[in-house]
Amino acid sequence: MSHPLMEKPNAEQVLFSASAAVVMDGRYLAPPQDKDGKIWARTSAIVQADASELYALWRDVESAPKWQEQMTSVRRIGDVTSHWVMESDGEKIEWDSEILADEPGKRIAWRSIAGDSSNAGEVIFDTAPGDRGTLVTVLQEFHLGKIANAWETIVGRNPKQSVIENLRHFKAFAETGEIPRTQGQPHGPRGIIGKMKKSLYGETITTPPAEKAS
Amino acid sequence: MKAVCWMGTGKLETLNVPDPTLLNPHDAIIKITRTAICGSDLHLYDGFIPTMEAGDILGHEFMGLIEEVGNDVTNLKRGDRVVVPFTIACGNCLFCRKKLWSACDNTNPNSHLMEAAYGYSGSGLFGYSHMMGGYAGGQAQYARVPFANVGPLKIESDLPDEKVLFLSDIFPTGYMAAENAQIQPGDTVAVWGCGPVGQFTIASAFMLGAGRVIAIDRFPERLKLARSLGAITVDYSEEDVNVLTALKDLTGGIGPDACIDAVGLEAHSTELQGVYDKVKTSLLLETDRPGVLRQAIQAVRKGGTVSIPGVYGGLLDKVPFGAAFGKGITMKMGQTNMHNYMKPLLERIEQGQIDPSYLISHRITLDEAPEMYKVWRDKKDNVTKIVIDPWAEKGSA
Repeated sequence: MSHPLMEKPNAEQVLFSASAAVVMDGRYLAPPQDKDGKIWARTSAIVQADASELYALWRDVESAPKWQEQMTSVRRIGDVTSHWVMESDGEKIEWDSEILADEPGKRIAWRSIAGDSSNAGEVIFDTAPGDRGTLVTVLQEFHLGKIANAWETIVGRNPKQSVIENLRHFKAFAETGEIPRTQGQPHGPRGIIGKMKKSLYGETITTPPAEKAS
Repeated sequence: MKAVCWMGTGKLETLNVPDPTLLNPHDAIIKITRTAICGSDLHLYDGFIPTMEAGDILGHEFMGLIEEVGNDVTNLKRGDRVVVPFTIACGNCLFCRKKLWSACDNTNPNSHLMEAAYGYSGSGLFGYSHMMGGYAGGQAQYARVPFANVGPLKIESDLPDEKVLFLSDIFPTGYMAAENAQIQPGDTVAVWGCGPVGQFTIASAFMLGAGRVIAIDRFPERLKLARSLGAITVDYSEEDVNVLTALKDLTGGIGPDACIDAVGLEAHSTELQGVYDKVKTSLLLETDRPGVLRQAIQAVRKGGTVSIPGVYGGLLDKVPFGAAFGKGITMKMGQTNMHNYMKPLLERIEQGQIDPSYLISHRITLDEAPEMYKVWRDKKDNVTKIVIDPWAEKGSA
């Protein structure tokens, strides 16, 4: 089945078939392949915290800027809807999002419903075997097109890598109460190559604050 | 403050840079009282480690006085004297909970660089490239120490800095190498490499009950230090010496019970072809030079143990795995889980079982550091270990 490029995600496939699952009926499921202008990112982490705590942290959408890169603000506009703003170097993208599935302690699924970004996603919280905390699996879907490209330009990371980095930040925040950072450290003069490397390595992307902005 | 900055391959400068500040709630700022140059710093100097940026502050062996602590650091206060481990660990992730501190999941802000290169990421390290976290190092007057609630070891006694400084890396690293060698009382242990880590490996092997330690190197000053610890030395650069024959001769033909590779591949002589290529690239790792590892596997007795504190970075060619399998050997290795060893080893120092300062050959100022890197790299002036007093002025250290 092919999909034309579109401004709104055709998110149902993710949301109602629980595609974030890695195992189905005892079989391993490979992540969805990029095609037809859609790209997918699936990533997972073992987090030393209860599923219920992690669910609560993720579900508290207004706290997302504490751990999601480049997220300036998230405001609830209804029970299941919220307004998201990303900003970098003065450029801004905004969209509204709605939660489509909400199973406390287990799973959240969402999709954008209006605005500059076509995205959808799902997060699953499973108790890891062997008393190893919670296995958090995230699947996100982005539609390419001018808007997703703008996202990449602004964020400075491919959206797939942003999903991976954001889960890493989420885990560090949940486990330690902070997100490790090196921005703001002293150093000698970088020179041109040093500056280029910094940008190439993604170090110019501001590490999320982990705390409420004052 | 003054700091030793990497400005390019073979190019170091002692520069004035801003003082570090608290950035996270578990940070501490340390006023550094002693710091050292590590053998592995030479690989940065020589440009073997990718993802260095001009301006990076070097150094991962340091200690000092707590100047300031973040809101969430409750176990330390201003004025406390601490030794800082070179690996940074969060204390809360799965790996820290398993006491595999050097595998900490959370402390490397640039995990993606290491994942692109190696497929995994270890903990952040001080002053050791952006792939390893990009943390400013400790060859400076002050340093910011993240997760100060977990890592720094408080020194409550009045032992001088020089006796405890090496708890920051090389003493625990040498000790873990000996522990990994699974030494039983009376065992014969062979140690390749008599640099600082090899020295502490030899000392630790004796502490753990080795009956005989055979030390292999080519620098007379190092071999002399090894003999001072009680080791039998083999100078492999001598014309008639064959290491494998020597080890057979010294063990009645069976080989040492444990072989320890404290050399590595000229540690990290890995070439990484482009490190971070936004989404999918990984890098091409050039072949390591596992000469010592090959010898260690060939030399170890049947059922023996090969322990590897020496650093490897890539893909190894022609490792005699048939011999390893045939003899049924055990191999243990890895980055030091510092936090397990600092306190027990401090106790050994306090009890007078070892005085790690015996290794120091040079005491210098920060301004002299760039020149001393060169001297050590070129193996001149009988350097065994260089210690820096970051507050001394030229000529007074």
